Amino acid sequence: MSDVPRCDGPGGGARDDVELSVIVPLYNEEANVRPLWEAIRTALAPTGLAYEVLLVDDGSSDGTFAEAAALPAAHPEVRVVKLRRNYGQTAAMAAGIEHARGRVLVTMDGDLQNDPLDIPRFLATMEEGYDIVVGWRHDRKDKLWTRKVPSRIANALIGKVTGVPIRDNGCSLKAYRAEVIKKIPLYSEMHRFIPAMASLAGPRLAEIKVRHHARRYGASKYGLSRVYRVLLDLLAVKTIIGFASRPAGWFALLALPALLISAASVGASLYRVLALDQPFSTPIAGVGVLFGALALFLIMIGMIGELVYKTGDSREDRMSMLTAERTAGAVRMPARVVDETRDAL
Amino acid sequence: MRRVELSVVIPVGKRVDDIEALHHDYRRGLDRCGLTYEMIYVLDGDREEGRQLARLRADGEPLEIVKLGRSFGEATALMVGFANADGARLMTLPAYFQVDSNEFPKLVAAAADADLVVARRWPRRGGRFERLRRDGFHALLRAITRQSFRDLGCGVRIMSRRVANEITIYGDQHRLLPVLAAQQGFAVREVDVAQSAQDEFRGRYRLREYVHRLLDLFTVFFLTRFTKKPLRFFGMIGSATVALGGLFIGILIVQRMLFDMPLADRPALLLSSLLLVLGVQLFALGLLGELIIFTHAKDLKEYKVADVIEARGRRKEPGDESTQDAASAAGPSDYPDYPRATSG
Repeated sequence: MSDVPRCDGPGGGARDDVELSVIVPLYNEEANVRPLWEAIRTALAPTGLAYEVLLVDDGSSDGTFAEAAALPAAHPEVRVVKLRRNYGQTAAMAAGIEHARGRVLVTMDGDLQNDPLDIPRFLATMEEGYDIVVGWRHDRKDKLWTRKVPSRIANALIGKVTGVPIRDNGCSLKAYRAEVIKKIPLYSEMHRFIPAMASLAGPRLAEIKVRHHARRYGASKYGLSRVYRVLLDLLAVKTIIGFASRPAGWFALLALPALLISAASVGASLYRVLALDQPFSTPIAGVGVLFGALALFLIMIGMIGELVYKTGDSREDRMSMLTAERTAGAVRMPARVVDETRDAL
Repeated sequence: MRRVELSVVIPVGKRVDDIEALHHDYRRGLDRCGLTYEMIYVLDGDREEGRQLARLRADGEPLEIVKLGRSFGEATALMVGFANADGARLMTLPAYFQVDSNEFPKLVAAAADADLVVARRWPRRGGRFERLRRDGFHALLRAITRQSFRDLGCGVRIMSRRVANEITIYGDQHRLLPVLAAQQGFAVREVDVAQSAQDEFRGRYRLREYVHRLLDLFTVFFLTRFTKKPLRFFGMIGSATVALGGLFIGILIVQRMLFDMPLADRPALLLSSLLLVLGVQLFALGLLGELIIFTHAKDLKEYKVADVIEARGRRKEPGDESTQDAASAAGPSDYPDYPRATSG
């Protein structure tokens, strides 16, 4: 287990002495901090890896920070990053990723629902040549109707729309090669879409089954209300991915239905006057003009979009992100479940 | 390089009371605080108070005068004042009587454990209409930002250097300073202080003022809630319009199918199509916004790190290090945009 895949290359930003960084965002998880650290330590001690644990306190209002801050003195593997206020899980993860020094980064939830004992299996899978390994909570211990069913629908939809068929996008337990994840822009609530965003870079993606425990302490911080937001985020991600593969074409694609409606309306209006000899209908012709204008508008927006895309400040970064893996001759593989048989559950 | 403990910045703009009386009143209050301080008057354009201040300065009053080339608004004047200030903490005071200067020590004490302290004039005089307008503004602000401030019109604030470095305001956004600071994760406290006996606005609020305040609210709405997720904002309006348009069209089609009402002579068809088209346009604009965010995501970091704790000991992030962008990495007094022009 000591020869974790190395991430050579300019973008890694890793220090030589840390092989693995475990990143845990914490928000009001006072009671979970210590058990979590114990669990991670127990899980990683047998591997003999040089690891660090990054606890990111996402502006907790309880004693989470005090609990976490007490750890580094006795356990130098622990580093605590405190955010100034509560920014949400994605931002907390991004902060952890930014401060991580390892070559492989593992993210997980701070509520003990993920099991650190799974981490060695993630590393083993990465050794097989994958860049991103995502967990699949195939036996979820959550409420059926408010958590599991919406999540299943969302995952099917995300897989369909983004073309990255991951069964469980919501699972926080994921492992990344540092050089890959550090190039993926993380903002808003994008953590759910990391595999999809990463697919832009064409890394090899694998999915493995992980254990999932019921919550021991504290309360769940999610609800049904996110459905609408996830849908909008999905649309945004789709646009971004669509843009990367064929700029401007994406908006033109949106313009197509409008153009069709426009053509149909104008056609019907002409047909009425010329063939049926009925009076000219302003509403029907008007609809044609409206949708025609919409199509034009969308195409124009697409052009502006291309302008934005080509002049973005981080353009070089993105270009390297898009090309790094492809020039290496790697083929974009669909995600697959690697160790269905290897599960020691 | 920090010569004083407190830098007092006084923007001198449209509304000015007798500046000499005001200066002496402020001096009395500041002397009570037991801090070393400097006073910087920022003249927002060519103002005759400049002569009075110059005379005060010639008489030995410890004050600096910074003059802007033309009127840029109170917020810009404040930023220029901050750029020229040397103090560890910054205090803003209005160029007119608002707060009883005997209360300054109370504010300074409160600033010890907060990044930004805003004074709230309480108890406060004022007619019924005045109060209604005030409460209306703050209620609207609360609804929009979910932050409850009760006297943003008060120009008396004390803040740490970090707040001034990280927040950029211009024009007349000075009222929004506490809102934006809270948004950045700074600890903002409101402290009740006695109103000055001479706090009285003799002018009249014109319609333009109301429009400006409403625009302020809209700015803050967008800045605090949707900067990183434009599609949420545009999508919210867009889906409402699309839903409405779709509903209308549905009704029209049902009427066409079941009741045989021809579509051709129904202007409602135009209305519903218009709504649909508008909704799709809004979505497209939101998507464009998302693209802008994506292409700039590396530069728009949305979180601020307060502290990193490691085995080697507590490493306090200096606040401006965490953003690592040029603006905040620059030292406190080297704002490239503002000239460091002090005139006697």
